[in-house]
Amino acid sequence: MAGFILKRLLQAIFVVLAVTLIVSFAIRLSGDPAVMLAGGSNITEKDLQNIRQALGLERPFYVQYLAFLKGLLVGDFGRSFMGGTPVSLLISKALPATLLLAFASLLLSIVLSVPLGVHAAVNRGRWPDQLIRILSLVGLSFPNFWLAIMMVLFFSITLGLLPPSGMEGPESFIMPALTMGIILTATNVRLVRTSMLETLSQQYIMVARSKGLKDWVVLYKHALRNSAIPLVTYIGLQFGSLIGGIVIVERVFNWPGMGTLAFDAISARDYPVLQGSITVLALFIVLINLLVDIAYGLIDPRIRTE
Amino acid sequence: MKMSTTLKALGLAATVALAPLAAPAQAAGTMSVAIALDPGSWDPIDTFVVDWSSAANNIFDGLTARGADMKLKPGLATSWEFLDNNGRIRFKLRENVKFQNGEPFNADAVKFTFDRLLGDEGKKGPQQSNYTSIDHVEVVDANTVDFVMKQPDPVLLTKLAGYGAMIVPPKYIQEKGDDYFNTHPVGTGPYKFVSYEPKVSLTLEAFPDHWGGAPKLDKLVFRMIAEANTQIAELQAGRLDVATLIPFGLAPTVEKDPKLSLISITGPTVVALRLNTKNGITKDVNVRKALITGIDRDAIIKAVLLGHAKPIASFQADLSFGYDPNLKPLSFDLAKAKQMLQQAGVAAGAPIKIDFRGNDATFREVAQAAAGYLQALGLKASLQPYETPVLLNDIIPNGKTDEAWHNAWGGWTFDYDNTAYLMYHSGEKWNPYDKDPKLDAMLEKQRGIYDVKEREKILQEIARYVADQALEIPLYNQNTIYGVNKRVKNFDAPADRRFRFTETTVE
Amino acid sequence: MAVAQAAPASRRRFRSFELVLGVILTGGMTLAVLFSGFLFPDGGESMDLMARLLPPFENPAHLLGTDPLGRDVLARVIVGGRISLTVGVLSVMGAVVLGTLVGLVAGYYRGIAEIVLMRFADIQLALPFILIAIMFLAILGTGVDKVIFFMIVAQWVQYARLVRGSVLALRDREFILSARAIGVGNGRIIFQHILPNVLGPIVILMTLNVANNILLESSLTFLGLGVDPLIPSWGGMLADGRTYLQSAWWVSVFPGLAIMFTVLGLNLLGDWLRDYLDPTGQATK
Repeated sequence: MAGFILKRLLQAIFVVLAVTLIVSFAIRLSGDPAVMLAGGSNITEKDLQNIRQALGLERPFYVQYLAFLKGLLVGDFGRSFMGGTPVSLLISKALPATLLLAFASLLLSIVLSVPLGVHAAVNRGRWPDQLIRILSLVGLSFPNFWLAIMMVLFFSITLGLLPPSGMEGPESFIMPALTMGIILTATNVRLVRTSMLETLSQQYIMVARSKGLKDWVVLYKHALRNSAIPLVTYIGLQFGSLIGGIVIVERVFNWPGMGTLAFDAISARDYPVLQGSITVLALFIVLINLLVDIAYGLIDPRIRTE
Repeated sequence: MKMSTTLKALGLAATVALAPLAAPAQAAGTMSVAIALDPGSWDPIDTFVVDWSSAANNIFDGLTARGADMKLKPGLATSWEFLDNNGRIRFKLRENVKFQNGEPFNADAVKFTFDRLLGDEGKKGPQQSNYTSIDHVEVVDANTVDFVMKQPDPVLLTKLAGYGAMIVPPKYIQEKGDDYFNTHPVGTGPYKFVSYEPKVSLTLEAFPDHWGGAPKLDKLVFRMIAEANTQIAELQAGRLDVATLIPFGLAPTVEKDPKLSLISITGPTVVALRLNTKNGITKDVNVRKALITGIDRDAIIKAVLLGHAKPIASFQADLSFGYDPNLKPLSFDLAKAKQMLQQAGVAAGAPIKIDFRGNDATFREVAQAAAGYLQALGLKASLQPYETPVLLNDIIPNGKTDEAWHNAWGGWTFDYDNTAYLMYHSGEKWNPYDKDPKLDAMLEKQRGIYDVKEREKILQEIARYVADQALEIPLYNQNTIYGVNKRVKNFDAPADRRFRFTETTVE
Repeated sequence: MAVAQAAPASRRRFRSFELVLGVILTGGMTLAVLFSGFLFPDGGESMDLMARLLPPFENPAHLLGTDPLGRDVLARVIVGGRISLTVGVLSVMGAVVLGTLVGLVAGYYRGIAEIVLMRFADIQLALPFILIAIMFLAILGTGVDKVIFFMIVAQWVQYARLVRGSVLALRDREFILSARAIGVGNGRIIFQHILPNVLGPIVILMTLNVANNILLESSLTFLGLGVDPLIPSWGGMLADGRTYLQSAWWVSVFPGLAIMFTVLGLNLLGDWLRDYLDPTGQATK
């Protein structure tokens, strides 16, 4: 087991390194931060060279990359090209915002999908089942920016109930979390439904039911508890894709998170911020995948040999 | 604690027990203004984006100032005179002025500001190049300074009213360091710094000891919101008082809202389609003129821009120095344009592609309308959206453009020199194709002339020459538009988004 | 409350309902798009600045109204499907071909090919997709071909992983071993015996990814990285129309519905296929 974990850990380090290399290299292929800094306007080539020098861009790529790696080892991501703020400070503000939103979306999706999935399983094949499955797919069929804007128009402008953007009180989480959660809900409803169907057909549930236990007790206490393990592991895996897709939702809702940070960094060709934020995001995704892998490895030894 | 916030959020969602919307913008004496992006540093020498100026113009003062009417007036200098055959400018400084931290403003502060701007610290930023005409600053006495010039710079006085020339406090910066100053700016302006949340907001409060008198508002919040729809939604929800990012398609939405008003004033931004004089059908000057004749710019202004723009004949606004009211754009005449194309030997279906900034919602529509006219001429028009940095850093300067490209320019100095030199002088990055000695000579000549009338004449000549060469299809001078909550009074709307909220109040 | 008693008849009916709805939605939109050239010979590109933003259902010439440049919304919605479907279908086809080949090789021969593939897959899983898309489109420039290319590059790994997994499960099975024993070549074993057995999960993933990529194309347009706005595309209409949601809802609501119906149809089909081809759920990743 220790060998398995070590191997996985080494692979994870390799992946994060590869990600940083790809990102650092690719972002340098187009655009010049010095020009971006100058607002794309009145500036001479000599001044641009001065700026590049100050930003350390005159050095060859491998030197810049190694410097980045060296900083990484001591947790120093460098400073933003835009204003010189330490990247770690920017990330320390943006990361909690993104994680909170991601958690809120996951939770919201569970809150929605568990009762729906259970209800669908119980009514398997009848109209509630059909309706739930089709509705959950409808939620998946909108571009999320459009859904987000529609929600803002309805909840913020027509009804005046929710703040249209920003991360302020708890109510500001509702719309962004719903936009992201709806996409997860479609898959999660399906997952809950399938695993409930499996559990419900098992002996002890039948026994419990025949003993006259109330339906909802059987369903939520006994059956659901049994379906929880695959659900939780699967949700762990969703976390990664959730973080990856957060950019658009953060943009519409002006959420001060990692997506906004990285997107702005691309637009401004702010290399240190982009490298730092993508590295942190990749670390998170890899870490969660690693935990899921290790958990699987513990449960099912066959996987270790893979 | 963070987790519990989330749980609370979800609890709220589940029970739909929604408290009435909190509306921070509506607090008495507090006004909130949207800016599109976060400059990252509030130090005047670090950035060159309008959004910086929208906010920082309230923190800092320059030696000169420019009001919302774009007229130059005294700022921290009360008067100035040109000495030594224009090689030296002497400024009399305003007395009894204090920085917001209590530090006195005097000649030393001015010298410190410009030493810093022109020295190593300034070299790292984009502002130094605006002020290279200054050789150095000499202190004459506590309230008098001399600017010793390296070369003549007719636009300098305007440039002293903004950006890198904002006066900064020497002691504060020396004690706290540059990094601290970036995120905790101090100036002599009417509002002083309270707090800065990167990517979220900058909060200022009234500085009662400002030399021009205390401002009327207690608090000023600048919120960074990059998406236009989100700015408008915040404005409509009453959580924002001034929206600054309004694609013209959203203008009617603001106009229709009874709580809001739309302010549309002549702005500095001019938009043109620059033409490729090296490759494609646009190589021929007669073809270029045919294209100008074939696009109905008045119709585009009326229908697509909803009247929030004016036609232009050269690449400058009528506010700009060097503007010539007598220069008229070629008028729209489809039949004539077709005939001109035919005479130039352009075959039907010849391709013409327009490169443009893909994220500019307003121009997306203008480009499509323009392409519609080109198609009506029998050409095969297409559009190529680019990410802005790519277009500005690579496609244009490296001469990789198609037949036409989107040129938008908002020179803040309102002087045609700045624009024309960068656009048309050989070797400049905005001029990837042309090498015209005659044009170069005119552009160079006006830079050494202080005589206002004479310089204006040359600038007008340049504009006429460019129009004659049809280097671009001049499209329009775009209005600056703001969406403003009606509770805001005395909103002195500046054409260039560089706000100064001294007289503004909120109900 | 009667729980979980298999109700075969109604379940079959449900499945077929899903199938029928999926086929109607996807098929209907596809047919309309295929024949859009006949229906709207101008390709939805004719402009009339004097007839901008006409409301829907009032003018028989513009049944769904006009957009801000006076173009017919109905024509653009129908023609606009070309781009969306082309992007969706071509990107998936490319990714399937590439991914399946690599997956077959990696799963069958294992060794270095497998190791490289799996590390590739790890890397791709760790890259935040949209951010990388923005970066790559910035470098490559925008355009339908580039959007498709990028989607292929980003998604082939999903198929490769899936195929590799299936091959691993198959390669030591009786029928493969006996084929090898009687001297059937590796190529024939892979393409004649293994490939048909992994098609099911691939088809499911394909259907869902076509849906996904149609949405993705519109998101990229939202971020300003879309294709030539002269050529109608659902994503473009939706993204540009968002400015008009309050003043002229029809400009973006109709393309929004077109996307929704198509994607919903594909999702229904994918869901149905999943039940039909893959009852054990191994492809429901």
